[in-house]
Amino acid sequence: MIQLRQVTKTFRRLRDTVTAVDGINLDIAPGEVLALLGPNGAGKTTTIDMILGLTEPNSGTITVLGRPPRQAVLDGKVSAVLQTGGLLADLTVAETMRLIASTFTDHVPVEDAMSRAGITHLARRRVSKCSGGEQQRLRFALALLPEPELLILDEPTAGMDVTTRREFWAAMHEEAGRGKTIIFATHYLEEASEFADRIVMMSGGRIVADGPTDEIRSAAAGRTVLADLPTDTASVCLAQLRDHPAVTSAEQVNDGTGSDMVRVRVAGTDSDAVARLLLTEMDARDLEISAGSLDDAFINLTSTSGEGRAGESAHTPSSTEPTTEGTSR
Amino acid sequence: MNATYVGLEIKRIFRDPVSLFFTAGLPVFFYLIFGASMSWGDQSVGNGNVAMMIMASMAAYGAVSAAVGLGGMAAVERMQGWGRQLGLTPLTDGRYVAVKVAVAVLITMIPIVLVYVAGSLTGASGTAAAWVLSAVILVIGSAIFALYGLIFGLAFRSEAAVSAAGGSVVIFGFLGNVFFPLSGTLLSIAKFTPLYGLNALARYPISEGQLIDGTSGHLIHEPLWIPLANVGGWLLILAVIATLLVRRSRGRQ
Repeated sequence: MIQLRQVTKTFRRLRDTVTAVDGINLDIAPGEVLALLGPNGAGKTTTIDMILGLTEPNSGTITVLGRPPRQAVLDGKVSAVLQTGGLLADLTVAETMRLIASTFTDHVPVEDAMSRAGITHLARRRVSKCSGGEQQRLRFALALLPEPELLILDEPTAGMDVTTRREFWAAMHEEAGRGKTIIFATHYLEEASEFADRIVMMSGGRIVADGPTDEIRSAAAGRTVLADLPTDTASVCLAQLRDHPAVTSAEQVNDGTGSDMVRVRVAGTDSDAVARLLLTEMDARDLEISAGSLDDAFINLTSTSGEGRAGESAHTPSSTEPTTEGTSR
Repeated sequence: MNATYVGLEIKRIFRDPVSLFFTAGLPVFFYLIFGASMSWGDQSVGNGNVAMMIMASMAAYGAVSAAVGLGGMAAVERMQGWGRQLGLTPLTDGRYVAVKVAVAVLITMIPIVLVYVAGSLTGASGTAAAWVLSAVILVIGSAIFALYGLIFGLAFRSEAAVSAAGGSVVIFGFLGNVFFPLSGTLLSIAKFTPLYGLNALARYPISEGQLIDGTSGHLIHEPLWIPLANVGGWLLILAVIATLLVRRSRGRQ
């Protein structure tokens, strides 16, 4: 459905050249619901802009349904909900719908698109009087007009409260049920793992992990165990920990609380097993367990792939080899 | 032509009564003060009279202000993300420009028609050809100034900058021989300012190239190539700057 090959995009800022997207390869199959997960500045929006034909890559090729991105948009096959901005404040919701609909030769009835996005009751309201969440649902309704095969959402729930967020995703589930391919960018791991079948993690313009949601989540949901170990047995214990299947990394952090103790940090997927091992067999003390955040997940996934350590559960393609794996719904 | 889009754009403009007053009402007001109420208004000039010449000038001021505002708002709304939203539709740049040009023509006609109606009711008189030709020149010529608004919008990216551009039209109006007749050095300088050419061209079918010297009150003749060169030169300058700025804004996206 979508193919990106060696796609690079750089921007010039004053005298510097910033590489926003750095030679990524990506294949997306029809019907997939894919989350682009990454912190701000990871290259998610630039990637989306290129798939939509809003920006051209400096090098590499992109095809959407076998055609150039802009052509796919012209054919009404692709549409998107972009980040904030992009609406005319002095039009009403219904007028905005009619305006955008008038640009398509073929579109679903305006009323249908509005009811699917849950904004029928807002029809006569000025865009300037709509809340951020309501404007976002209007953008969603606009995106439904051409009845696209591919729907792209760039951080669609940013600025929404919990209730509207839930309603938004419910509407999106319905669209996925109609067989649409959906790509959405987010920096919430929860949102990605609740809704996507597949997660592509981006960082620094590269794809750092790509796999089924369960795999990425288990890698990301890792916990960190901190504990003091006796100095004389520490290195043996660390080696033993690194061999454990649930451990992704184990290392000495600094000196422990006592003179004959050292503090170690163990990251892994099964903190219970690690804690049990440390307490029962390694004479550990002052043990702490902390849940991993998304930042930890990035560190986990990026550092393990970078340094080639064992015990990593997500598939992390190098940026030079095309990702051929694709999970269908 | 996308009639739905044009219709909605017109609707948006009518939702802003303050701007609409400055676009449509102010030129009529100026005409009544500078033209209709003046004692020399019925003095005949070429194919018309002085009141009619002043009428054409005030209509030029109104039409240019409207065009500058439209161009500026188009730039600002595109940069505030509306351009990205349109980028997701099959609307090409060419069709978008066609919509905006149609809107500009329709909106600049408002001050022109209102001022001309006011003129016909208060003593402006001339041949039918003079009425029609000067109005057509104003509709076409004022559209060039949409580029002027566009440049301010693209360069400064704010609605305040667009208002400033609208305000500068008043200054160029004085410098361009629009509001009262200049003479001597000031008149020589005026011939290089952006509004001079359009103002002189719109008066041309009425006055046949005669203009009033501001000091002596005598009529002096001006060849047609001067206002034509002024309009042509400014069109070139504005088009080049606008093209460069559009390119810059594309590169940043």
